[in-house]
Amino acid sequence: MTSSGSGQDSREPSADAAAVVSDLLEESPPPGEFERLRELLLGEERRALDAARARIAELERTQDNLSQRLPGALEALADEASTTRVANALAAPVSQALGAAVQRNRQSLIDVLFPIIGPLIRKSIAEALRNLVADLNGAIESSFTLRGLKWRVEAWRAGVPYAQVVLKHRLAYAIDHVFLIERDSGLVLHHEAAPGLPELDKDAIAGMLTALGDFVGDSVGREGGGTLESVRVGEHLVWMLHGPRANLACFIRGVPPQALHGLLEQRLEEIHARLAAAADEDPRTPQNQTIWHEALQPPALIQEAGRSAESEQRKSPSRWPLLLIVLVLAALLFAFLLSRERWQARVDDLRGKLEAHPGFVLNGIEAKPWSRLVVHGLLDPDAAPLAPLLDASAFGGVEPKLDATGYLSTDDAVVERRAQRLLQPPAGVRIAVKDGALNLSGAAPQAWLDTATERAGWIAGVARVASTLTPEIDPVATARAELQRLVREFPSTQVGFLDDATPADDAANAVDTIAREARRAIELAKIGKVRVRLTCVGANTEVGSGQTNQRLRAARAQWLALALAARGVGGTDGGALATDGDAGLNRRVAYLRLTVEDTP
Amino acid sequence: MRTHKLCMLGDFGVGKTSLVARFVRSTFSAKYLTTVGVKVDSKEVALPGREPLKLVVWDIAGRGALDGVGENYLRGASALLLVADGTREASLASALNLLMQSRRSLPNAVVALAVNKLDLVDRWEVAPATLAELRNTLPVFETSALSGDGVEAAFADLAARLAP
Repeated sequence: MTSSGSGQDSREPSADAAAVVSDLLEESPPPGEFERLRELLLGEERRALDAARARIAELERTQDNLSQRLPGALEALADEASTTRVANALAAPVSQALGAAVQRNRQSLIDVLFPIIGPLIRKSIAEALRNLVADLNGAIESSFTLRGLKWRVEAWRAGVPYAQVVLKHRLAYAIDHVFLIERDSGLVLHHEAAPGLPELDKDAIAGMLTALGDFVGDSVGREGGGTLESVRVGEHLVWMLHGPRANLACFIRGVPPQALHGLLEQRLEEIHARLAAAADEDPRTPQNQTIWHEALQPPALIQEAGRSAESEQRKSPSRWPLLLIVLVLAALLFAFLLSRERWQARVDDLRGKLEAHPGFVLNGIEAKPWSRLVVHGLLDPDAAPLAPLLDASAFGGVEPKLDATGYLSTDDAVVERRAQRLLQPPAGVRIAVKDGALNLSGAAPQAWLDTATERAGWIAGVARVASTLTPEIDPVATARAELQRLVREFPSTQVGFLDDATPADDAANAVDTIAREARRAIELAKIGKVRVRLTCVGANTEVGSGQTNQRLRAARAQWLALALAARGVGGTDGGALATDGDAGLNRRVAYLRLTVEDTP
Repeated sequence: MRTHKLCMLGDFGVGKTSLVARFVRSTFSAKYLTTVGVKVDSKEVALPGREPLKLVVWDIAGRGALDGVGENYLRGASALLLVADGTREASLASALNLLMQSRRSLPNAVVALAVNKLDLVDRWEVAPATLAELRNTLPVFETSALSGDGVEAAFADLAARLAP
């Protein structure tokens, strides 16, 4: 209706306008005609324009007063819905305006907030310090108790600071909610809450937890069948324990002990045992609710978890294998160190002996325990051999090797060995070296004495020679020389005769002398290692016949033999003395002839 | 008090969340719908002459067909409220398709259909004859989340059928 009416109105002015335009083209119109033409052509628009202007003016007038009217308008918001609507409408621009204001003028914001934040911060710090002091007090108090000592031992065994153990034991935690949730539907089978907590929509929370678990499981644990086990937000921790028919969700504040998790697992297993035993029964029956309540009430869980933790600490069965391993390792370490110590002690002992060994300068010992040992040094050829010393050192099957370079030592012992080697002294000679002085003493053959005296001063390491050597005496030669003298002297000791066989008055003295000399000759023969023959020789003057003289000489020789025999002088072989005659002497005497024969 | 799980199913934008918001006072933000894909609320429903009953309403993010996660969310549900947008006939087809899919895992769940946006009835594409035909197979409620018309009735009908 409205649209058709307006169409007719628009068509009528258009026809009039056409007539007016035609008239204008034919003649000049009077001034009033222009106004009429304008009214015909633009009247509608002019009226609309005037209305718009009036509206704008009204709006501007209204806006001018807005700042005055706005507080009143806001105060006039009576109902909550209107207030909420205005608040929602203002939220975004106010937030943006605040951000811009903060960026442009931070100081003003600081000035405003400082009086508020300062006390809040001080209060927070004071509260934290109070808690810290309480913890320190607890730690100090516990330090001198049996429990404190146990914690110290625990810290020592675990290798963590004592403070950490104290905090672990003193940390309080609380269980806010425990949900027993039907696995499939996510509906709450039972709910326990700590006293004093506000009411919450437990069904919605249980449902969302189940949905989150499904979401996480399907999103990240699809292949491994993983489940959402725990969620941590700030100091709050949610443990999710899953069973075939029901899940447990435990809302915890603080740091719970692991024993609590084990206890919750145990409780969930017990619940499933109950559910399995009464499979046809509704798990929400009052009887079941009572059972769930006893199993899941937070104070009882905390108490039981505390007991379990202490019990586990008391038992600590798994500590023994660890202790045993530690002991074995310690024993092995001790054995290793002892073995190293023994090896080192033996090396040190060998080093000491080598350093004290004359004629050897130790440069070093290259030792690898129970594997290799090489001795490096300088060795004089005249030094005592090192092999016995090395062989005597026990290195557990490791054969010491010697890496030695030759040199000349001036050590007294080595110089003495060198003098021994070069001089080769006879048995009666003693060689000693002290402070570079070569001392020669004893007796030696003259030939050796001559050689030694010449060579001694040239021996390396000998600074001077001191000799007390004497020529050596040969008893054999001396005895033989004495025998030769006796051989010469025996004929001069004669026994005189008055007539044929009558000895002179001093014959006895002569016989005694001859007998003494004869015994001495026999002794000398033993020393001189020769045989002697004693022969009694008779002599006579040339008066008388030849036969008579011969008989006379024999008689006188016989008389002497008998006289000597009477004095204990026999033949050299122990038999009777031989007799002989000396026809050329021409005297009435008898004497003893000594003949020396070499031992066959 | 007995508790039952009710799942809201329907295409994107049909007004499921608005219906739930009209029915319950929400605990969780609607942002979970775009992150986790579901938002759970609960409400006690008073039944005349019977013990009240609690409905735990799972508002599952709108989709034309169920995927693995969506099917998981349906587990253990006792009731389904299918939601269609009266101004979009295609959303009715999606709701019925979702019903067919969910029947595989929930053969015994009680079901109702809410044709939403009754406040825009002059723009409805769903013909009254179609609704009449559907009423022969399942309860159909014409609802408006904006005005609240039919919302309580739809939930109450499901609750009444769930109650022993």
